[in-house]
Amino acid sequence: MKKKVMAVLLTSVMAASVLAGCGGSSAPAAAPAAPAAEEKKEEAPAAEAQAEAPAAEAPEGADYEECTLKFDWWGGDSRHEATQKAVEAFMAKYPGINVEVNFGAWTDWETARALEYQSGTGSDVTQIGSNWIPDYDGDGTVFLDLNTVSDTLDLTQFEAGDLEKCLDPVGQQAGVPVSMTGRTFYWNKTTFDKAGIDVPKTVDDLIAAGKTFQEKLGDEYYPLTLGEYDRALFMSFYIGAKKGVPIIAEDGTLNVTKEDLVDALNFIQSLEDNHVIPGIAQLAGDGNVTTNENPKFIDGRYAGVFEWDSAPLKYTSNLAEGQELVVGDELDFGGGVYGNSAKVSMAFAICATTQHPHEAAMLVNYLLNDPEGIKIMASERGVPASKIGYDTLNDAGMIDPMIAKAHEAVYATNPMFFSPKFDNGELKGDGAAYIDAFSGLSYGDYSVEDAADVLFDAYSNVCG
Amino acid sequence: MTNMANQEKTLSQAEANLRRQRAISVALRYLVLIVVCIIMIYPLVWMVGATFKENSEIFTSMNPIPTNPTLSGYRDAMQNYGGAINIWRAMLNTYSYVIPEVIFTLISSVLTAYGFGRFKFKGHDILFAAMMAMLFLPQVVLNVPQYIMYNKLGWVGSKLYLPLVVPTLFATETYFVFMLIQFLRNVPKDLEEAAQIDGCNVMQTLIKIIVPMLMPAIVSCALFKFMWSSNDFMGPLLYVNTPAKYPATIFVKLSMDSDAGFNWNKILALSLISILPSIITFFAAQNQFVEGISAGGVKG
Repeated sequence: MKKKVMAVLLTSVMAASVLAGCGGSSAPAAAPAAPAAEEKKEEAPAAEAQAEAPAAEAPEGADYEECTLKFDWWGGDSRHEATQKAVEAFMAKYPGINVEVNFGAWTDWETARALEYQSGTGSDVTQIGSNWIPDYDGDGTVFLDLNTVSDTLDLTQFEAGDLEKCLDPVGQQAGVPVSMTGRTFYWNKTTFDKAGIDVPKTVDDLIAAGKTFQEKLGDEYYPLTLGEYDRALFMSFYIGAKKGVPIIAEDGTLNVTKEDLVDALNFIQSLEDNHVIPGIAQLAGDGNVTTNENPKFIDGRYAGVFEWDSAPLKYTSNLAEGQELVVGDELDFGGGVYGNSAKVSMAFAICATTQHPHEAAMLVNYLLNDPEGIKIMASERGVPASKIGYDTLNDAGMIDPMIAKAHEAVYATNPMFFSPKFDNGELKGDGAAYIDAFSGLSYGDYSVEDAADVLFDAYSNVCG
Repeated sequence: MTNMANQEKTLSQAEANLRRQRAISVALRYLVLIVVCIIMIYPLVWMVGATFKENSEIFTSMNPIPTNPTLSGYRDAMQNYGGAINIWRAMLNTYSYVIPEVIFTLISSVLTAYGFGRFKFKGHDILFAAMMAMLFLPQVVLNVPQYIMYNKLGWVGSKLYLPLVVPTLFATETYFVFMLIQFLRNVPKDLEEAAQIDGCNVMQTLIKIIVPMLMPAIVSCALFKFMWSSNDFMGPLLYVNTPAKYPATIFVKLSMDSDAGFNWNKILALSLISILPSIITFFAAQNQFVEGISAGGVKG
């Protein structure tokens, strides 16, 4: 009897949950409108007034069709929030254009978008990584040539050199750079103070700091930490400084010989031998976490990181109390050569399948070149590449001072071209050449020559 | 006289020895159990504790009890992305396709297994071989062709999660079909023959005889499918493209941006909240599940 009652109860619970489930699938469709409507109630008169105003004045660019646009991006919470606000402001400014958004975290985002691009269902406006153009738009049919909408999207706000980095292989303007980025150094000033030395300005300073750290603070302390990909980038700085050219040229050809790589790898290995950076084995022993999550970085034992100019905040927010992280300058390899490089951090593109290229271009222009949109977006996507974007934020003091300083450090040293091919899947990523070569070298499985072979073969393949 | 007393004494001594031995053995067993239990439970307890910690403490401390407890993780977890989606709606979204998926999978898998296990028909062997081959096909290679197909059908971004739910109507979980067929082999055919003599048709035999006998297998299929579906990330990522329809797996990850960094306490709090209903359901229905399994076992 008891069992039966239980069974009946459970069945009804299950039935109820099924019903609840079904209800759930239809409710959200109606729900977003409801709370939004409630929230809007108070400001409704204002919004209406705003909506009417542009229609009455018919401002420039008011020439558009009513339509629905799709817009997608990846990012974190604050970027989602800022971009959603910007999109809402855009819809208020241009009533009749409805923007549907789709956003998420980076994990697998590229896979999902790549499927959309290839099957012709990409969003009208889409946020892309710098290597997506050569990877997915090799024949120029996936992304719209933005020159065709340059009457709406003001491309003159961007440096010609930056725009060039968003050309597809057939020479069309496949994307517009949102921000440029390069790597620089961030130092834990607290630890350097403890060691009694200044933060390094040159590579020689850095190497000297390794010894000082070991003597004064102990074996646990290192002035810098570099993972495999960091080492690859620092190696590219070394080669850039020695040879005056990037590893991969702008036309996609390889600029280095195997001897160059051997020399550069010897340099990287010397950092490890001189107690400047911990070995890969030790980093793996720390729990194989990213540097900002590494306890030894958090408490100041690893006193330096080599990171994009846009990303210092994830380090400062994790540091233990009493530790201070400062932005460092690019390191001088001797005689004022830095060998550093900068790349497109991310870009906006319009999919060629869009039915409304003009309206999509209006949205991109609003986000990048309209002071109203610029201020809402702030530096959520790094320091703006658009001139008016940079000026607007700079005047308003809206760029995070650390990011601004790091960006300045990168650009003060005349960065070289950074080929998207440098990040090709054959080089960067799990089991790819950088990890293979640098961990192999660090673990002692590879000689410098072996590691150079691995890298040279991979570079030759990618540039072949 | 003294002899007897001695004998009694040795007897009680032997008894006492035995008792002591038993006590020691019990104590030892419990000790092992407790140690293993602590090792197993510790990460869970740590996770619950970590929802109250800041990032710097999460990465540096083994102690599950936070030194500077904060509720910010839970506060942030309630974020609603401009009213588009919040954790509750995301969980509702998850169950709105997981439950139909589980039910459809069970129905279609049992039917298919019954067909393969009990009937001989033209092409039986080839079809069965084809199905077994599918067992070894990883989902990754299916992503692209499936996406193209659902895209042609206009199902991508469907409000009813059609690309996720509809395939389950076609017994796509090959492993379940295989498992059910194996169970079916242990069900004596005599029972079905008896049912036929009593006037059952094929479907009645299935529902009244086979399904109750297969209950333990069906329960485990349901559990697995429930787990897999609610943990599925790639499916919803490909086929859901409006924030209001995001399921919990996508929602939990929304703020995980390795570029800008993020607060782990929020992620852990969200994970904890999103697994609570499953845990509660399983604890509440635990007896029923176990009963189902043992009852089926006795009958079989």
